[in-house]
Amino acid sequence: MSTPVDAERAWQDLQRIRVPQERVYDELERSASSGPGATYTTAGIMWLFIASWGLDLSDRGFWLVLAGYVALLLALAVVANRKTRVRLHRSRHTWRSFATFIAGMVVTCTTIALSGRLTDSLHLPFGSLIQATLSAAAFLLFVGPANRWAMTALRSRGIRPAHGEEATR
Amino acid sequence: MSTPAGFDELIHPATRLSVVALLAATEWADFAFIRDSLSLSDSALSKQLHTLEEAGYLEIHKEGGGRKRRTKVRLTGHGRTAFDGHVAALRAIVDGVGPAASAAPPAGAGGTAPAPLSETAGHAKASR
Repeated sequence: MSTPVDAERAWQDLQRIRVPQERVYDELERSASSGPGATYTTAGIMWLFIASWGLDLSDRGFWLVLAGYVALLLALAVVANRKTRVRLHRSRHTWRSFATFIAGMVVTCTTIALSGRLTDSLHLPFGSLIQATLSAAAFLLFVGPANRWAMTALRSRGIRPAHGEEATR
Repeated sequence: MSTPAGFDELIHPATRLSVVALLAATEWADFAFIRDSLSLSDSALSKQLHTLEEAGYLEIHKEGGGRKRRTKVRLTGHGRTAFDGHVAALRAIVDGVGPAASAAPPAGAGGTAPAPLSETAGHAKASR
């Protein structure tokens, strides 16, 4: 036997759906804003990796440091994943999420390349330390605003007004 | 009074609708997160989850052991399809397309904006 549902009850149910979905976006925003520790740790690891370029390591040494760098980043990702209480469904991501990821790589790589060129051309002492500091700073300055920009779009995409509500506004 | 196609009796109760709506926005969610978000007790949530799991609407994975044990809940493709169908059926009723359109139009659907979230949150809690 089917449950009779009138339009008012259906309307209330549609409103009810929005509430738990808002909680998901609240949690994502909370974890994005309350986790500067992971961002600083990532920047710190990056700083160490770039600074190690100034040690004039052998090829083998360079690859070892690179492997250590990647392993540390992976470990950081695993720890962050364990702390996560919810993961947004892939259909809810927007182009901004991917744009932020790509732009982050572009900004960081460009800063590494430009600061390396600058320190080389000016023959600055401790060039790799300057390069590491500038690159880590660019990363830190970029991550916060870019994440907020991406998060805003996620919520507005995810909590769209129900079809029909839009028309009645 | 009959209901439009896609209307799901299993999802229809308020608590289950809230659980499925939350999971629909996620790849997976932690049991504790669902419990806290919906202000449910462990046993109440567990009961609803098992009902939905038996229907094949969601999967429950337990990871780790001891104090680090955590339970992840994921909506299956079948559950997601059912939820989408249910939402479409509700919209059809509100729009007056479904057979339930013969009912009186909703107070909120006659040209006013939907109730604010805080109000609906209160309503959701009150209706449990």
